[in-house]
Amino acid sequence: MQLRDYILRRLMVLPFLIIGVSIVVFTLTRVGGSPIGIYLSHEMTPDEVLEIEQRFGLDKPVWVQYLQWAKGVLSGDFGWSGISAAPVADVFPLKLAATMELAAASGLVALFLGIFLGTFAGARRNRAPDHITRIVAVSGASLPQFWFGILLLIVFWANLGIAPIGRSDATVFASINHPTGLYTLDAILAGSPRAFWDAIWHLMLPAITLGYGATAIIARMMRSALVEELQQDYVDAARAKGLAEKLVLKKHARRNALVPTITVIGLTFGFLLQGTITVEIIYRWPGLGRWMAASVVRGDQGTLMTYVLFTSVLFLIVNLIVDVVYANLDRRVTLGK
Amino acid sequence: MNNSISKKGILTLLASAFFAFTAPVVSLANVKNPGLLVHAADDEATTLDPAQVEPGEGGETIILQVYDRLLDIDPYSPNLVPSLATEVPTVGNGGISSDGLTYTFKLREGVTFHDGTGFTADDVKFSWDRAMEMDLPEGNAGALSDVVASTEVVDDYTFRATLSEPVADFLNSVVVSMVSSIVSQDAVEANGGVEAGVPNEFMAGNMVGTGPYKFVVWNRNENVQLEVNDSYWGENAKLDVRIEIGGDPDVRVLGLRAGEFDTVETDPSFVADLEGADGVTIYTGGLLLEPLHIGFNLNIPEGSLPDGDTIPEDFFHDPRIRQAFNHAFHYEAFLNGPLAGYGAFNPHYTPIGIFGHDPSASVYSKQNYAEAERLFKEAGVWDEGFSVSVITEEGNLFALMCLVLKDSIEKLNPKFRINVLAVAEAVFDDAHAQNPLEYAMWAKNADPAADPNFYMQAYQHPDGEWGEVHGFANGYKDADKVAELIDAAAVELNPDKRAALYKELNEILYNDPMWLIGAQEGVVMAHRDWLKGFVQNPLWPRPSLKFSLFDK
Repeated sequence: MQLRDYILRRLMVLPFLIIGVSIVVFTLTRVGGSPIGIYLSHEMTPDEVLEIEQRFGLDKPVWVQYLQWAKGVLSGDFGWSGISAAPVADVFPLKLAATMELAAASGLVALFLGIFLGTFAGARRNRAPDHITRIVAVSGASLPQFWFGILLLIVFWANLGIAPIGRSDATVFASINHPTGLYTLDAILAGSPRAFWDAIWHLMLPAITLGYGATAIIARMMRSALVEELQQDYVDAARAKGLAEKLVLKKHARRNALVPTITVIGLTFGFLLQGTITVEIIYRWPGLGRWMAASVVRGDQGTLMTYVLFTSVLFLIVNLIVDVVYANLDRRVTLGK
Repeated sequence: MNNSISKKGILTLLASAFFAFTAPVVSLANVKNPGLLVHAADDEATTLDPAQVEPGEGGETIILQVYDRLLDIDPYSPNLVPSLATEVPTVGNGGISSDGLTYTFKLREGVTFHDGTGFTADDVKFSWDRAMEMDLPEGNAGALSDVVASTEVVDDYTFRATLSEPVADFLNSVVVSMVSSIVSQDAVEANGGVEAGVPNEFMAGNMVGTGPYKFVVWNRNENVQLEVNDSYWGENAKLDVRIEIGGDPDVRVLGLRAGEFDTVETDPSFVADLEGADGVTIYTGGLLLEPLHIGFNLNIPEGSLPDGDTIPEDFFHDPRIRQAFNHAFHYEAFLNGPLAGYGAFNPHYTPIGIFGHDPSASVYSKQNYAEAERLFKEAGVWDEGFSVSVITEEGNLFALMCLVLKDSIEKLNPKFRINVLAVAEAVFDDAHAQNPLEYAMWAKNADPAADPNFYMQAYQHPDGEWGEVHGFANGYKDADKVAELIDAAAVELNPDKRAALYKELNEILYNDPMWLIGAQEGVVMAHRDWLKGFVQNPLWPRPSLKFSLFDK
């Protein structure tokens, strides 16, 4: 099967998967408690509860509610966010931008550090640098984010006072326009070094906290794959031909070791998005994760359903991209034959 | 190899220098964020509309700062003081009619809303009528509509309200409440107007008031920013305000210690983390008017109790069992443990700090196992034992109070079992939305009020808010007598006679308790030393702060 056909087939299946996911999301959130939990008070009478249910159409059959919700989603109306007192569609892009920015920064930290450390350790198998890298990697995978994050805050924010908390300095943030919602990009577009530095400075600790855990996974995968590749015949052949060790490593072994690592990197993106919940709460980062956590605790299902639907669809798309990249990197991979 | 290291070394040095020279300069001055008050709040608002806000909810904190009401509560006492009204109505000054039904308010002239429009009696009538017409179930419109029969504009600066019956606490409980805040008629009508039963989306996220602060922006799940209203009719506020929303409680503590926050919302459990911190003051003045209580359900639907509960549905109909629970609770353990010593023992029928509180009234304050055992035996449950669940919200004082109850009851008799169900707030509220409640006990705190009538009506009256839900009529030895005394005290305008009625009620309710009151929680607020003019009044919505009074 041609790559183009494979992609087209996957794209054709995607809408059905999304419909399936939306039904699961809708059902699960309905099972999880009252959709209007945020408006309920332990002091309300049944009539008052009924009045709010009617306001949100919850007095209708569940399948009608689903169709109304799905119709709204298709037209860009994701409902009302009780915890934000605003339409979900108004707030969601702002939260998404904040989270994507954090996930991207963390991803960069994890990607560069992971591949570097993995290569570094793999090329020095069973020597001191390999052991040290293993300790670093195991630490990253083992340290709970809430603990590591609080630790960094205690040292760099509360005690040394050299790192900030939150996403921005409110004054600096207000000094530029935000056409994309990505603070770093908006700062560049506005030509404001002060805002750009403010964005980077605020990203630093949360990105390290989040990226460190993912670094460990990528580094370990990269190291294992590289060790395996370095034992292959083609590596021996390259060395026998007199190719420099650096070239053997970079041009041959590392490229092939990246194939399984790419899969892990794809999954790591999901890990980063999930991980933002803890990191956003600790660092008061105004992103999707913190927003979603608040919606769960306070029973705001309009917000919650949008988040779950979004992440589900995102995973479907990311998986598709990973599969395509994987196939592209390694032609031995069969495309659904 | 050496070259490589030296390159790395140079890069490291350059990077270090870059960071050192370009990092934001942290002020070494004592006061951080001069001109700005940074308050770290516990919770986020779900609306900024006075007509929609639920009492005790985060939006009330912001409404208190941006909107004015006709009257206010003095910062240093429970007394009423004029606000948009120029004087507190009394019978003596002609503001209250002799029959107690008509209240006339003389209004302040020259006041403007934040949008520049002028304030008149029309705005007062519009604000009150609007809340009553919208009548949103999640809000507090009932406070107005239950007692106000009609409103009237006498002239541009005179407003009159007529009540359906005399209400002794009308000024203390209704006029000063957030639902009675005065909004700009022009702003509302230009943005959605008024529709019965439908929230106004503009007002839920925007504010146009006359208060000492103007609303600037609400960055959802991040912060709310307010700026000083330079045209305020009273004394201007000194500091702009940024309210940082939610987040991890430990981070609030860290932020206060670091000086990033000036005030943080705390409870007594924070004291251990803040005691002795440089530059931090722990304010512990007075008591909250929200007693922590465990409710007994006398209206349990048949077969609805959770699996494992062995009690019959009429378990708490027997006053001896309710008394026994009250005697068995280890009050000192709760006060000195979870409350860190900040609080007092008190029946919430008339909390310490409001009219009608009688220091000599009987109060459950000491664990009395002998009396509890006697009562349980008399009630016939001692030998067989029982298992019963108590539902509450997780991760707060309520859950800890339930654990103290569990410990107290289970130590008294190993055959007794208390199952503590600590759930998320939304699940707790959802459980209460199932009426009748399908649990035998629940724990939370009372809503605060400035007058005993609120507590009596809501928490004790057999036909009141909780009396009806929990079937108090099934348990009171003399429900009619309780109702008669509460109703009489509600309309009694003579303070001595009214106090006598509450005194009689307190004694009846001590012997026939419908609640177990763990304690009346003490006020514990933490702020930076550099904050001047710190004052807190528990009669204001939590965290009971008016930012306009502060400076630094």
